[in-house]
Amino acid sequence: MPGTDETAQRLLDSSARLSRDPETEIDWDAPLGDGYGLSPEWSTLYGTSYWEELTEVQRRELTRHEAASVASTGIWFELILQQLILRDVYALNPAGADFKWSLTEIADECRHSIMFARLTGKLVDVEYRPRPIARELGRLFKTVATGESAYAAILVAEEVLDVMQRDWMRDRRVEPLIRTVNHIHVVEESRHMVFAREETRQRLIGAGRARRWTSGLLIAVVADVIMSSMVTRAVYANAGLDADRAVREARRNEHHRALLRSSCANLMDFLGEVGLLTPAATRVYRRTGLR
Amino acid sequence: MTYVIAGDCCSDASCVAVCPMNSIHPSPGEAGFGTTDGLFIDPRTCIDCGACADICPVGAAKPADQATPVEVELNRSHFATQPALNALDLDTWDAPSFAPWTDGPRRVAVVGAGPAGIYAARELLLRSTAEVTVYDRLPVAGGLARFGVAPDHPLTKQIVTTFERVLAHPRVHWRPGTEAVTAELETRYDAVVHAVGSFQSRRLGIPGEDAARSCSAAEVVAWYNGHPGARLPVELVGPRAVIVGSGNVALDLARLLVSTPDRLATLDLPAAVRTTLASSNITEVVLVARRGPEAAAYSASALRDLQSLDGVDILFDTEGSELSSPPLPGRRIVFRFGTTPEAWDPAAGFVTDAGMVSAGNLFTAIGFAGRPIDGLPFDEQRGIVPNDRGAVLNRPGHFVAGWIKRGAQGGIGANRACAEETVRTLLATASSGALSAAPM
Repeated sequence: MPGTDETAQRLLDSSARLSRDPETEIDWDAPLGDGYGLSPEWSTLYGTSYWEELTEVQRRELTRHEAASVASTGIWFELILQQLILRDVYALNPAGADFKWSLTEIADECRHSIMFARLTGKLVDVEYRPRPIARELGRLFKTVATGESAYAAILVAEEVLDVMQRDWMRDRRVEPLIRTVNHIHVVEESRHMVFAREETRQRLIGAGRARRWTSGLLIAVVADVIMSSMVTRAVYANAGLDADRAVREARRNEHHRALLRSSCANLMDFLGEVGLLTPAATRVYRRTGLR
Repeated sequence: MTYVIAGDCCSDASCVAVCPMNSIHPSPGEAGFGTTDGLFIDPRTCIDCGACADICPVGAAKPADQATPVEVELNRSHFATQPALNALDLDTWDAPSFAPWTDGPRRVAVVGAGPAGIYAARELLLRSTAEVTVYDRLPVAGGLARFGVAPDHPLTKQIVTTFERVLAHPRVHWRPGTEAVTAELETRYDAVVHAVGSFQSRRLGIPGEDAARSCSAAEVVAWYNGHPGARLPVELVGPRAVIVGSGNVALDLARLLVSTPDRLATLDLPAAVRTTLASSNITEVVLVARRGPEAAAYSASALRDLQSLDGVDILFDTEGSELSSPPLPGRRIVFRFGTTPEAWDPAAGFVTDAGMVSAGNLFTAIGFAGRPIDGLPFDEQRGIVPNDRGAVLNRPGHFVAGWIKRGAQGGIGANRACAEETVRTLLATASSGALSAAPM
């Protein structure tokens, strides 16, 4: 098993091979077309009876608001993880690859957040934010989380977003700007996920059962909060839908749950491999629909 | 520097799905997938992120500086005649495909915890909310991934741990050491996926085949892999052994038979197996194939494995040279193509149309056939259960995956696409109401 420093060096080299700058790579002044915001099959309402009643225009509008909400949740989580990593960086040797990689990752996340912010602004003229309770939990988490909890939580957030975005970037029905934004994110996140896995593995070396139980459960709760924050209630109202009905049908949407479950299969396998899929954690994942 | 995929590749294509640059080919659905010797990474577009290595269930994807020059070259040359795909042009990627949710079955039985059965169970867990009961005759999971992969391929065997994690899923009920009876399953499950493999060795049909010191290679493979209940059915008698067949099973066996005690000591073998192999005085293995080298069934990576054996000469004997006298000193593996087996005489040796081969043992490795499953139709000719994309013909509620579905070909990873197809068929059938409407 390579050390994190070796992994960090490889990732730095990779970053030198291809890093992307959304500021220069994307023509932010170009007008937006009339594509979908995300693959319709990824809409929280796809497959429900409500979806069947929507017109093509309504569906497109809904997916744009959903995309904006997901991007906003992405920004929120990227801010949290920048702080998590920054807290870790204080302890590192500035000459090490680990240090340089961590700052590179923060820089990537910073660029992504600006990119998502610009995208959201172009897509819709409302703002999305996770609900207050999630925001407060995030505030607490970024202050106290350490070790494998911090890195596995980073992994959870990145991995869930990553698999969705891989579909959206390849989907010709999705607005080209969104496809490009998603690909930029996918490329850079793949390095971040490699690092988060490596850090998680390293920090779990020698961890006992009690610690795995606590960390496993904490990570599962984080996953639950992230998943439930992706598309907020305001999305449906802003898209001109009956929010009560939409929330009710989305919550029961087995199609969406199956998609999320498939997307998180690699993540669950990793958590199982490192011993973080404890029975308590598994119960949370089952409720969230990831297991 | 980039990453490369080595010869241990299982082709289950987990890596293809995580590559952010579309650098790994052939991907499922592309020409060559399943027929090329594993998957390859295009060094022109790989950005060295390591996502493939992180996900690879058999440790075959690795940084180029940890691979052999041959492996690096193989990855490069796979793409030599094709232009590099520009991942930044997103239309060069395959469009995503989505299977809409169907109100699937509630209870499914999967018979067989080998690769096909586990991949089917995994797909069912992801795509439905069904409770999945997995049966296996053996007390442990893994099937051929555990008992068919040679012990000098420990990385490939590593995939068994991935399989075991699927069985730990809360919606899986794991029933090891259980003989599943079709008629009983019908009453208790909405659907049954039979993934029992084809473990019956094909026979040569020559005189003396059942005589002393002759057996199927599969029996030896099961024995050296510690398969429960497997015994070595013959005494190993040197100095020359004949293996009929030119597939990877034949090559695996040849490699083990000519291994020196030093090499055997490095392998994960049951102690008794190690002792028996080390004390056999087999120094030469002759692989006999009816057809020519162009029809050889082994994979290129299996041949490279042989060629990288220290102190073992690999000879391609197409001339029909003299094998009737005892072998020369030294260890070697001889390929003899274009030779038709005629008889086995334990006292004299192996009789072929090209003359006598003096040998102490005969092993046959000419492929596998399925055995009929109680209560299901069976295609004797092909040794499979006749099916349409996994649905057993004329038996609603019954499905097949793996070798019993498509015949004994394709490695571990090929079962993934195969099982996914079966589960798609199963869920589509379930949603059309055909499962509950038809009495099983």
